[in-house]
Amino acid sequence: MHAYANPARFLKIARPLTPVFLGLGLLLVLFGSYAGLVLTPPDYLQGDSVRIMYVHVPAAWLGMGGWSGIAIASIVQLVWRHPLAGVSARAIAAPGALFTAICLITGSIWGRPTWGTWWEWDGRMTSMLILLFLYFGYMALANASDERTSVSRATAIFGIVGAVNIPIINRSVVWWNSLHQGPSITLRGSTISSEILWPLLPMVIGFSLLFGGIVLMRMRANLAEAKVEARMRRMAAS
Amino acid sequence: MNHWAFIAAAYGLTALGTVGVLIWSYLDMRRAEKAVADLEKRK
Amino acid sequence: MKAKNQRLILALLGLVAVIGAGLLAVSGLKQEAAFFYAPGDVAANGLPLGKAVRLGGMVADKSIRHDADGVTIHFVVEDGKAQIPVTFKGIAPDLFKEKSGVVAEGEFQADGSFVASNLLAKHDERYMPPELKGKMHMTDSLKS
Repeated sequence: MHAYANPARFLKIARPLTPVFLGLGLLLVLFGSYAGLVLTPPDYLQGDSVRIMYVHVPAAWLGMGGWSGIAIASIVQLVWRHPLAGVSARAIAAPGALFTAICLITGSIWGRPTWGTWWEWDGRMTSMLILLFLYFGYMALANASDERTSVSRATAIFGIVGAVNIPIINRSVVWWNSLHQGPSITLRGSTISSEILWPLLPMVIGFSLLFGGIVLMRMRANLAEAKVEARMRRMAAS
Repeated sequence: MNHWAFIAAAYGLTALGTVGVLIWSYLDMRRAEKAVADLEKRK
Repeated sequence: MKAKNQRLILALLGLVAVIGAGLLAVSGLKQEAAFFYAPGDVAANGLPLGKAVRLGGMVADKSIRHDADGVTIHFVVEDGKAQIPVTFKGIAPDLFKEKSGVVAEGEFQADGSFVASNLLAKHDERYMPPELKGKMHMTDSLKS
């Protein structure tokens, strides 16, 4: 576990990995968008507006996946005191919040032509909005300290407690009567016809790679800034 | 109702947000890593 | 090593407690957080009279009737357990169709019918191209 604890060793891997993630991610997203906008047929009921799914679903996945990552990093920080845990949790917060917001807004844009409403206080939408506010709270807590390479213990605990919302979002459409439809893709298969489903795969993988690249860049920025600050402090002291 | 205006809005917004955070993170990283390189040269 | 294990157990216990508390709170909310009443809920628990509520379910096949005034429509909402006649005056969303989902906002009447002031279309989790529609409707295995 501590093999990669050394930031120098982490950077040795992160530097070549960053352009790979970003390049591959961009290619997959561009291809997936073309496929989703041009190659796939419209839905029998929703018509062309079903194409919004190809950006809405990856955004939802990254918004929820991002918080899961924060929660795991928080546990790693509290239990193993791994020096990179805080850096990675901090780096995930901003892109996680962004994709949660994209999920909410694209969902709203999708809801108008299909459901006939921009917004309703239904279980799925409300719990997703709560996730966005959790991200805002996390970022405020994390930025409260000047330490760039870690987050405070209270911030880590907040990251773990907030994870309660993730299964609630996931199950909200099953537990409650909701306007949002039930899950289409489950362990038992998919109720989306394969002709409409397939561009979702390059889109989800592509956006995940972009997300990974963004997190790596933000981790590298924070590590570099911490290094400069430490050097400055030492020079001032001597 | 024409759906393409809604589709364009959804895709445009997603592209704007993603590219925005990509550029912001990249510039942040480059500035910070350049500062480290400058420090190391000065030493 | 010992302290690390202690922290791990503490963290896991905390996680279980927090998730347990969250799920308990959510299950307590089960009724309040429902977005709409289904016809079966109303049949089982009585009419929620005198307040604005939402009624959701499927629009029964061949139940949509248009009045002569051109804006009033009548249809039946069902959920396999019960049926409720609904009256609505206004413009229905594009996806409002028979054998498709609907959420109506409005008020129950004392005679068991529902007067809607707004209609929302609710689609299910199935997505398919138009030419497949006929085939898919025959395979009812996908319908819950």
